[in-house]
Amino acid sequence: MRVDLIDKEPSGPIQAVWEGARAIAAGFALTLKHLFRKPITEEYPEFKRPLPSRTRARIVLTRDPDGGERCVACYLCSAVCPVSCISMQSAEREDGRRYAAWFRINFARCIYCGLCEEACPTSSIQLTPMFETCERDILKLVYEKEDLLVNHGGKDPDYNFYKHAGVVTAIGGKGEHAGEDQPVNVRSNMP
Amino acid sequence: MPKLIIDDREIEVATGTKVIEAAAQLGISIPRFCYHPALGSVGACRVCAVKVLEGPAKGIQMSCMLEAVDGMQVSTADREAVEFRRYVIEWLMMNHPHDCPVCDEGGHCLLQDMTVSGGHGLRRFPGKKRTYPDQDLGPLVQHEMNRCIHCYRCARFYQQFCGYRDLGVLGIGNRTYFGRTAGGRLESPFSGNLSDICPTGVFTDKPSRFIGRRWDYQRTPTVCIHCSLGCHAVTSVRYRQVARQEARMSAAVNGWFLCDRGRYGFFYASRADRPRQAAIKGETAGMEEALAHARSRLEALAPAAVAVIGSPRSSTEVLALTERAARLRGWRGPAFFADVGAALKVKAAVSRLEAGLAVSLGEIDQADFILIVGADPINEAPMLALALRQAAQKGAGVWVVDPRPVSLPFEFAHIPTAPKALGAVLGRLLRKSIEPAGLDGPAARFHASLPGDPASGPELPARAAELLAASRRPIIVCGTGIVAAEWVELAADAALLLRAAQKKAGLFYVLAEANAFAAGLLTQLDSTTDRVLKAAAEGDIQALVLVENDPFATFPDRRLLEQALARIELLIVLDYLDTPASRRAHVFLPTQTLYESGGIFINQEGRVQYSAAAFAGGTPVRETGGRDHPPRVYGSGLPGAAPQPAGQLVARLAGEEIPIDIRAQREYFSEQASRLAGLPDTERLPPDGLRLALRNISAERFKSMLPPVPAAESDDIEIILTERTFGTEELSTYSACLETLEDETFAGVSRQDAEALGIRDGDRIAIRTENGAVELAARVCDNMAAGAMMIPRLRRLPWQTLGKSIRRRDIRKA
Repeated sequence: MRVDLIDKEPSGPIQAVWEGARAIAAGFALTLKHLFRKPITEEYPEFKRPLPSRTRARIVLTRDPDGGERCVACYLCSAVCPVSCISMQSAEREDGRRYAAWFRINFARCIYCGLCEEACPTSSIQLTPMFETCERDILKLVYEKEDLLVNHGGKDPDYNFYKHAGVVTAIGGKGEHAGEDQPVNVRSNMP
Repeated sequence: MPKLIIDDREIEVATGTKVIEAAAQLGISIPRFCYHPALGSVGACRVCAVKVLEGPAKGIQMSCMLEAVDGMQVSTADREAVEFRRYVIEWLMMNHPHDCPVCDEGGHCLLQDMTVSGGHGLRRFPGKKRTYPDQDLGPLVQHEMNRCIHCYRCARFYQQFCGYRDLGVLGIGNRTYFGRTAGGRLESPFSGNLSDICPTGVFTDKPSRFIGRRWDYQRTPTVCIHCSLGCHAVTSVRYRQVARQEARMSAAVNGWFLCDRGRYGFFYASRADRPRQAAIKGETAGMEEALAHARSRLEALAPAAVAVIGSPRSSTEVLALTERAARLRGWRGPAFFADVGAALKVKAAVSRLEAGLAVSLGEIDQADFILIVGADPINEAPMLALALRQAAQKGAGVWVVDPRPVSLPFEFAHIPTAPKALGAVLGRLLRKSIEPAGLDGPAARFHASLPGDPASGPELPARAAELLAASRRPIIVCGTGIVAAEWVELAADAALLLRAAQKKAGLFYVLAEANAFAAGLLTQLDSTTDRVLKAAAEGDIQALVLVENDPFATFPDRRLLEQALARIELLIVLDYLDTPASRRAHVFLPTQTLYESGGIFINQEGRVQYSAAAFAGGTPVRETGGRDHPPRVYGSGLPGAAPQPAGQLVARLAGEEIPIDIRAQREYFSEQASRLAGLPDTERLPPDGLRLALRNISAERFKSMLPPVPAAESDDIEIILTERTFGTEELSTYSACLETLEDETFAGVSRQDAEALGIRDGDRIAIRTENGAVELAARVCDNMAAGAMMIPRLRRLPWQTLGKSIRRRDIRKA
């Protein structure tokens, strides 16, 4: 089946020349106009556009306001990670605090979906706007805990999980956490 | 048989079934915290609420307390019931701490599941949360009382089900507390079950603390090999480390629980000092190199100068392939037992367990009279003690005939009897309690041959004979540790006699090690470890092949062992443990544990059970990473994965290349090892295992030797080597967390002997032997037979130097 792509037959050769010339002139006019405008292209890497703080890129492990590692190695981020790029081993500090003995993120595999951040119960794991992580050696994209730890609280600077958790650590004993009663006296007979 | 409707589906259940169980039969899981199939109902948590639409009491009812009756109509999804359950969860969560991320129960927590599925998210109550002080409960259980929801499961399990009193309920009202009156290690050898049974994180598993979450573990159904019962377990592996073991429900064997020896006995598999490299004269070598070296040296020797010693802790595959290798090459052995006596006992037990007579561990609670002869359940096979307790709770009389001061977590009667007299007491008891009138044929002749009460000496308690006479389902439990082979036979005949007397009698043997049954099937009576070692000491044997056996831990004569090892030219050891034997080996070949190779084990009632391989092996990441992150290297293959299944290595030592695929290997051995032919394919084994129907073993009924009158009293004191719950079973002694639970090294003496020797309880005594003196604490026992001394076979105690008896003058106060 033949499809008619041209809806109007040119009426004559003079008309056609005129139409062509007009089109060329209009094109050059537009080009000429933009030549004197300020460009909207940004020259990366000379210029780096400020990104919103919620941008999902390179992952960090933050610290609580007291400077302690926030990560308790609960395994929720590694469980939720759809590409299984997070692995860790939890351990216990002398004061009873649970922490990550090691923590590894394979950024070669990470898809920056942010589910780990969503799952994190202690605001430890956070995605940052820093996205320039390319490496030629893929092993350099495997980040260990020391590469991931930062010295701030990221987007949630005030939260300290161990002030609420109720387990005994150097942060507080029984009854010393937020919203806790003094430990009950089991031997009391008082009503 | 009431018929009821649950959620518009009809079901007919047995009378007495609770609605929660009826629903479970329909596949409807009603939320529960306090209800547990093994512990029953108490209606404490109120979360199993359902709405009864038709029935004796309409409206909201607790389904665990409600018996199913005919015509009942129940809705679990009714709005009122759902609301009710939602509120229950909300108030249970009112005081629950905000610590799921650091709680080890998270991920398999019943409370977490119910909270999420019930839709509760935000705490509306503005008040403060209740807190509790915690206790140190020993090396196995971690206590965090804040998380408690007061379901009472722990106290019911610990006190009612297990019969121990040191953990229970304290305080009242809002202060109700579950713990001990003072902190300290839990006394029950079943305490590890607390972490399984607690629906939240009050009791969590201490040895596997913070290792991983349930979803990260490689979980595999396995069989416990720390005694002969073959309880079912689930093994959790993470990062190539065997991390945790839990009970696996099995109606025929262990029920819902597992003892602490079984639960925590696995640490040998992931120990840092586990040998994973082959070695020639202590120098690390490649597996192929070491194999070739061993093979060439073996081939240089005459086959008769080579002997093989295996052990009943190996899987049936290993035992069968070892036996086959020895048979093919004409090597001596394999010896699976220390001496003829031990081999005979197991052989007797294996041949006398008729299909109709044998009872499983799960059937023990149906007995109404249990006679235990020469067995110490809590120490030899702890889960048996738990089963016996369930029988005793239902009213069964339990009588123990044993020289040792047996203790059990329930009321029972003990007749302290010298080891030599065990058979006589059993015979007298049978004669007293069974009327000869109803018997005929061999049974009558056997009854007539039984001894009566002697003219002098202590009389048997009349009550035991009365109870046995009145019982309808008696069970005879017979040990094989301290009893003679004749008594093992006698126990079977006793059960047969009770059958002849119209009782539904059962027979239950306790064997020494996990796969003693299979070893008993395969062993030759002319090759036992003592004979092999004697031949080696005399120079008739030049090479010894030890297949997963450490004679330093198992063989009772250390002097003979040393003589034999000094004389031989070549010692080849195949093992997965770092033992004195493996350190002295000329050629050491590392083998795989049960968790890596899998294997068939046959328990003491002849139940064939398959324990699946839990992981592929290799050094745990914890070790390769030096407790930090795993090494940053590329590569395929596992570090430390040189160990191979012992059966395969033995076959290759014998010059055979056998198929490496485990299934092909199994087919291969079941073809070859004739006595095990007909073993079903492991894929077709039912979940509870399969009782072995032995075809070519025939035993003669009622032919057991008559108990001779005990010999005239000699002045010597007989040594009774005895098992302890912790510290004597070889593999579990490699668990660091069980070390502190081990008994002190002691010598149990009867009060009579103690007075004669001038020893008081707690005194240090020195026992002089040919090989030097052994110093121990004396434990004076009231319920112990005189003329015997009880010595625990603890690995750290040199019991091998003591011999079979000691003269009284060799015992002195230290």
